Amino acid sequence: MFAKLKKKIAEEAAIAPRPGGAARIPRSVSKESITSAGADSGDDFASDGSSSREDLSSQLFRRNEQIRKLEVKLSDYADQIRNLQKIKEKLENALEKHQDSSMRKFQEQNEAHQASRAKMAEGMALALEKKDQEWMEKLGQIEKEKKMLETQLQEMREQSLNLFQKRDEIDELEGFQQQEIAKVKHMLLKKEESLSKTAQELEACTRELTHTREVLQDASDESSGLRKDLQELQQQFLELEAQRDELMTAETNAENKITALELREQELQTVIQQLSVDLQNARVAGSGCEKRLEMIQAEHESLKVEYEQHKQKMTFEFAERNKLTEQLQEKVSSLEKKLERNLSGDEHVQELLKEKATLEQKLDETRQQLVTDRMHHSETVNYLETQNKELEQKVQIATEALKKSKEAAAEQDLKIRKLQTDLEDDISKLQQQILSEKHQYDQKVTGLESQITALETAWEFDKTAAQHKISQLEKENENLHGSREEYESSLKKQESELNRLKNELSSRETVSIEIAKALEETRKQREELQQQVSHLSSLIKEKDQLIDEKCDMLLKQKEELDQLSQEHEAALLQMHQLQSDIEASNSRAAEKEEMARKEIGELKLQVSELEELSRTLNNKHLPSPENRVMEQNGEVAAAGIIQLQKDNRELEQQIAEKNKMIKQLQQRMTELKKTLQKELKIRPDSEVPEVREKANSEVPNASVTVTNNSDLNDSREINFEYLKHVVLKFMSCRESEAFHLIKAVSVLLNFSQEEENMLKETLEYKMSWFGSKPSPKGSIRPSISSPRTLWP
Amino acid sequence: MGGFFSTIFSSLFGTREMRILILGLDGAGKTTILYRLQVGEVVTTIPTIGFNVETVTYKNLKFQVWDLGGQTSIRPYWRCYYSNTDAVIYVVDSCDRDRIGTSKSELVAMLEEEELKKAILVVFANKQDMEQAMTPTEMANALGLPALKDRKWQIFKTSATKGTGLDEAMEWLVEALKSRQ
Repeated sequence: MFAKLKKKIAEEAAIAPRPGGAARIPRSVSKESITSAGADSGDDFASDGSSSREDLSSQLFRRNEQIRKLEVKLSDYADQIRNLQKIKEKLENALEKHQDSSMRKFQEQNEAHQASRAKMAEGMALALEKKDQEWMEKLGQIEKEKKMLETQLQEMREQSLNLFQKRDEIDELEGFQQQEIAKVKHMLLKKEESLSKTAQELEACTRELTHTREVLQDASDESSGLRKDLQELQQQFLELEAQRDELMTAETNAENKITALELREQELQTVIQQLSVDLQNARVAGSGCEKRLEMIQAEHESLKVEYEQHKQKMTFEFAERNKLTEQLQEKVSSLEKKLERNLSGDEHVQELLKEKATLEQKLDETRQQLVTDRMHHSETVNYLETQNKELEQKVQIATEALKKSKEAAAEQDLKIRKLQTDLEDDISKLQQQILSEKHQYDQKVTGLESQITALETAWEFDKTAAQHKISQLEKENENLHGSREEYESSLKKQESELNRLKNELSSRETVSIEIAKALEETRKQREELQQQVSHLSSLIKEKDQLIDEKCDMLLKQKEELDQLSQEHEAALLQMHQLQSDIEASNSRAAEKEEMARKEIGELKLQVSELEELSRTLNNKHLPSPENRVMEQNGEVAAAGIIQLQKDNRELEQQIAEKNKMIKQLQQRMTELKKTLQKELKIRPDSEVPEVREKANSEVPNASVTVTNNSDLNDSREINFEYLKHVVLKFMSCRESEAFHLIKAVSVLLNFSQEEENMLKETLEYKMSWFGSKPSPKGSIRPSISSPRTLWP
Repeated sequence: MGGFFSTIFSSLFGTREMRILILGLDGAGKTTILYRLQVGEVVTTIPTIGFNVETVTYKNLKFQVWDLGGQTSIRPYWRCYYSNTDAVIYVVDSCDRDRIGTSKSELVAMLEEEELKKAILVVFANKQDMEQAMTPTEMANALGLPALKDRKWQIFKTSATKGTGLDEAMEWLVEALKSRQ
């Protein structure tokens, strides 16, 4: 052991005599080195310098013992020390040098340590800052996220509100839409029906139209045929007309000839006329003679007639006178008879006789007159006879002259006759010619005319027939036109109606499409919102996961921190222990130094060992302030994390609540849909007669009394009338109706529950007994006519 | 016994009578509508003190139609007729803007009745032939119909004297009743 020390000392001694080595040692340093060297004095320690820290205490203990031994030894070695004083001084120099170097080293090491510590601290601070920054960033991120989430949440709320509103709106819209759709469907159905009807009508019309068109075409064909016929006939007619024209020309030629002949005839006639004039002159002369003769004869005859007349007159007068005389004689005789008979009437007779005498006188007078007359007459007759004779003579002369003139006339007549005969021959010839020609022409003309007439008649017949047909066809055509126009108008109307309907339909469709679009839009919006919601929820979940991850990370870091702090505390504890140990050992070493300066070499070794130890300790001691900082930072971060976690939890809770709300609303929606479907599908079993009286009987009365405080009498009157009407109806109408009236009657008459039930039972009994209901159809009742009298 | 057979009979031939109430304020035209539906003619009516009940057949469906008097004093008795009602025809005078509030309150009170929870509501905006008649939408809003929940309802513009709109309304009602079964 000491051999080692000795060796070292020897080595140092060998190194010691370096130039300027002792002169550089400062006092303070040497002092320190002495105290430290003293403190570190220990023989065993040097050997155990490399041993671990845990054995320090035991080592110290042992060292104490060794120190005691060394004290003993020291006393022994005091002499040696004194001997070795010189060596010691040398050694001290060497030691100072060594101390200096060691101190330098120590300082260097310390500096290095400090630098490393600073570095470490810096590194740690940097790391901490980094971490802090990271955390801050994370915090910021989290805060941002939080804000984002909050904003999202708000948006979500708004959206959810919007969603609810929209849902409501959708419900309303659905209601409206259903109604509208029902209406539209209804209208559509009707329109379709009407459309189909109109289409059928249209089809019928079109059929009729086609039919009529066909008919029209047939008619037009017929008419065209007839037109063709007509044209043919017209052509025939034209041909005939041409023929006729030809014939006419022929006729005109013939007529020309005739006129020529007639001219000749006229010439001849003029000749004849001249001849006849001559003849007439002769005749006039003859006639004049004849007239004279006739006049003479007439005179003669007139004279004869006069004569005859006179004769007759005379004879007549004579006869009359004779008659008169006879009458008078008769009268006389009668009167004489009377006188004979009536002798008494002499006077009368006398008168009569007087008369007779007068009459006889008269008679005589008349006889005389007669005689004179006869005389006169005979004279006149003689005169006349003479005259007659003269006249007869004259007549004879005249007759002679007449005969002469007659003869001349006869001659002239003969001439005339000859001329006439010639003329007549000519005429007859010419006439024969004319006649023959005429006849020929006439025949031709007649033939042609007959042809023409026949053709004309045929044509006219055809024409009339055609016209008739045409008129008929035209009528038909007109009818058809009319019907066609009607159909067309109806068609137009129907088309317009159709268009209108189509327009309506299109408008309805557009409306429905719009509605559908609106619905789809709302649905889309809803879906979008749902998507957003889902998206947001997914985002929230992601955020939750992130937060969870962060939390986990935080926890881990916390654990790490905890571990680090624990380690730090442990290290601190150790350090404190070690410091105290060091202090203790230092104090002891100081004591020992004084005592064991001899063992300085050993102690120096020990010191070096201790230095090494202290270095190691310092190394351990260093991280403590960093750890503290870390701890503080960790605490702050932990608080932030806790807050964040709290916020997170709150947000999570809010999200959960919102989700719940959304679910509830969705449930409500589904329920509403179900109820709607039920309402549409399920038929309520209303056949079961329900008995729901309860307090109903009291309520109406109360309300009546409330509503009719003002005019109580009037209301009572009305109520009485009402009661009367209801009771009358109740008694008169059939059971099924009466059953519904039980309540009204019982309310009006304040029946008790039992009474009402009794009424019901009796009615049910009646209904069940008679079974099939009497069906009083068609009888008009109440308020208009007398109520029905149908008894069960 | 007989009732049993009659129920079988009625179930066999499907001639269950639908019970319909015609309600509304006095002078809205309920009785005119009833007889227009039954005999298809316009009859001269007097204010109904009481009610009229008629069987109306429409599209193979038999309706027992009850026309209840709408005067203020006898309106409280409406509730006596509510049970087993399939549908309510609520008639409103489109020209009577003063009493539309009253009509609405009566309608709301009626619809709150438990016995009418399942009844279908058909509103007739009657007297549309008059000039200053309210439009159906106006009336629906005035009666608060859009706010109705859990109720199948529809509004029709009608004119009982002209006979317009009644067929559509009845058709809708028939469809609604058929779809409800």
